[in-house]
Amino acid sequence: MTDLKMIGGEMPDWSDRRADERPPAGGAVFAEILRRMAPAGGRILVAGPHDDALIDALGSRTEVVCLLRSETDAAALAERGVTVLCGTLAKVTDADRYDVVVALDGVDRLCSVEGPQLDWAEAVQVLRRALRPGGSLLLAVENELGVHRLVDRSAPTSAHGPGDWRPVGEFDEAKPGNPTRLAGRLAADGLAVSWLAAAWPLPSAPTLLATPYALQDGPVGALSAAAAGAAGTAYAGVPVLSDPRRLAAAAVRGGLGAEFAASWIVLAHRAPRPALDFVPPPVLLGDGPVVELAHDRDGGWVRKVVSGTTTPGRDTTRLNGPLPTGRLLEELLLAACLRHELRTARRLLSGWATWFGTLAADSQGSATVDNVLVDGDAYALLDPSRLGTSPGPATALRRFAETLLAGGYAHPWASATNVDSLTAVLAGAAGVQHVPAVESAPVPIPDSQREHEEQLRMLREQLADATTRAAWFEAELSGRDSELRRARLQIKAFSGKFSYRVAKLGAVSARKARNALRRVGKES
Amino acid sequence: MHHANHFYGHAHVMAEYCGLDPEHPPRIEGYLQHGWNVADGLGYGTPYVSGRPIFVWSEQTRRRAWSMGRKHSTVTGAPFLYLLRCYPSTDEAPREGTIWYPFHGWEGQHVHGSHQRLIDEILDTEPGPVTFCLYWHEFRDDKTRARYEKAGRVITHGYRGLRWQDTETRFLHNQLTELRRHRRVASNRLSSAVMYGAAAGCAPAVYGDPMRLAGEETRIAERIRREWPELHGPNPDPAAGTEVALAELGAEDLAGPAELRAILGWRAP
Repeated sequence: MTDLKMIGGEMPDWSDRRADERPPAGGAVFAEILRRMAPAGGRILVAGPHDDALIDALGSRTEVVCLLRSETDAAALAERGVTVLCGTLAKVTDADRYDVVVALDGVDRLCSVEGPQLDWAEAVQVLRRALRPGGSLLLAVENELGVHRLVDRSAPTSAHGPGDWRPVGEFDEAKPGNPTRLAGRLAADGLAVSWLAAAWPLPSAPTLLATPYALQDGPVGALSAAAAGAAGTAYAGVPVLSDPRRLAAAAVRGGLGAEFAASWIVLAHRAPRPALDFVPPPVLLGDGPVVELAHDRDGGWVRKVVSGTTTPGRDTTRLNGPLPTGRLLEELLLAACLRHELRTARRLLSGWATWFGTLAADSQGSATVDNVLVDGDAYALLDPSRLGTSPGPATALRRFAETLLAGGYAHPWASATNVDSLTAVLAGAAGVQHVPAVESAPVPIPDSQREHEEQLRMLREQLADATTRAAWFEAELSGRDSELRRARLQIKAFSGKFSYRVAKLGAVSARKARNALRRVGKES
Repeated sequence: MHHANHFYGHAHVMAEYCGLDPEHPPRIEGYLQHGWNVADGLGYGTPYVSGRPIFVWSEQTRRRAWSMGRKHSTVTGAPFLYLLRCYPSTDEAPREGTIWYPFHGWEGQHVHGSHQRLIDEILDTEPGPVTFCLYWHEFRDDKTRARYEKAGRVITHGYRGLRWQDTETRFLHNQLTELRRHRRVASNRLSSAVMYGAAAGCAPAVYGDPMRLAGEETRIAERIRREWPELHGPNPDPAAGTEVALAELGAEDLAGPAELRAILGWRAP
């Protein structure tokens, strides 16, 4: 077999690796799953655009065949020594069968412009037929109601770029809309699901995978914080409708983590029973080092670094061990602020500040409120591997002040209307003495339209208030001016010498007489 | 700063608590609530300018103020409680009798009712000696003062001040000293003084002819009675009454000196 085989329906002047298109499936978490599932001596079909690192993760023990619709992409991959089938999905026959089929990019980029445009169910059936009995399908299914879609400023059903020749979006009714329906649909096609996970924050490169069980009964505080953190990183500076961090955290916290995830990753096998002896862990986190979470014997959750141990700026050894329990400090503080619970806010802030002082210098930089879990009076770093020093706790408080103001959150310190004054108040509440005046630029956050609207509304109110105040000051000022004039006259009248007062009286009378004469003259 | 911020030396107490010069409190960018009320915390007739912060005593008052369109209220707690923090009780002096605050109205308001009937009821009710604390204009009125002097000791805490002038900046200090001499605090209307007394360790009580003002409607008085029954009657349960009074004064929400300075827009000393 040659390295590049044209199967028909290929696109000669096309690439799925353009900067303006969704990037191919990639990331360390997907790579970790592929590394662990590649069967020695088996055959794997990788369908659709996948990052080179994912192909490489499959290793050399397995025969890898890739299916791509773009001739350009196919040629480039073949150049790297990978066997490639180039063409449209409808041309794939069941003449070749595989032990594993991987479609982590979903199925919407498998059909080219040529030939039939298969819907989701038809595409999955083609992939299923490519499996040997007992073979496994690893499939990503984008959630049309995922948080990534809810915050998107553009509509998936609008045709924007040349790749959107058929922008069906949520109107592909063959595509299941939740994990239960997904499993049911696959079962109906003879594919038994052995593992399913919700993926956050983006379908193309998730950094958090968690099973519905883990999201429901697992370490919900840490997972909601991780989902929010993942969204924060993915959307830093990105224009969005509303802040995906809050939606992600609220979804996971509210038991809807699977329903609002960006996508679902499912491992299913063809009858009779799975040939593959592999089930991924309940939770995988990977924003550098890849960390696996598992239940320990006592019912707690432990984490273990499984790859990426040499990530720069991280001490990954700190990640091994029990996962801290509790809720994200930022969420607890926001909740206390919204409820106007000053006591709670002060307790959290001062507890945090005291704990901050006990941290090693290289941990203080990451002890911001969005990376700290609180359980009762115990504070712990959610991700202790990030190394970085800090000029002091006030820097983290300033970031929280920015969050409160930029997010338009109601808070109990209404008199503090800018970051400096609110930071000073928070520092006072936390018992932090030193508040440096000069700070670095704000950390980039999601560029949310809803927050812009809130700020606009606030500015309008401030402007209206300022106008009212200016009018009030003017009225006050003219009142004071009259008072001053009267007072000066009185001072003059009572402080001058008798002869001065007489002369002054005479001058006033003379002026009046002159004016009267002039008037008489004009009238006559 | 609105001149009402200086009433009773409130700004001075806040400055003292914050470690600043109590004689010359810095300007407060906003309005301090200067007396207990069932409205937005501002005094009657305060010329509120839209957008300016209001510093109210309790979270309940903040909620009420918000519902009345006051969007810039911050809960600080009552200045009197900060005074208590500056001068914690040492329990050295024995307490005796009752300090009684006959409802007085403000300058220009005239109380309708019989002082004598009220005095008789007080003397019938109170178990020990009674100190009558009159407001400054009643205290200066020889006829009224003489009537109360026949029934007990008569004092005043001073003049609250007007437009920054003649303010008794130690008004609250005087009041605290007097309260700590008495076992009970009482009035014919629920007021700041009754709550201060409860906070200072007196058993609070509200009873007697409420001495209505000319043309005053009774709706608010009835509402107050319904909402805070724990403080009404000649002998309410002191623990329950004190709890209610402390909540109204914002005892749970007091800020530390550094936070209070930042809230009021003051710099560190």
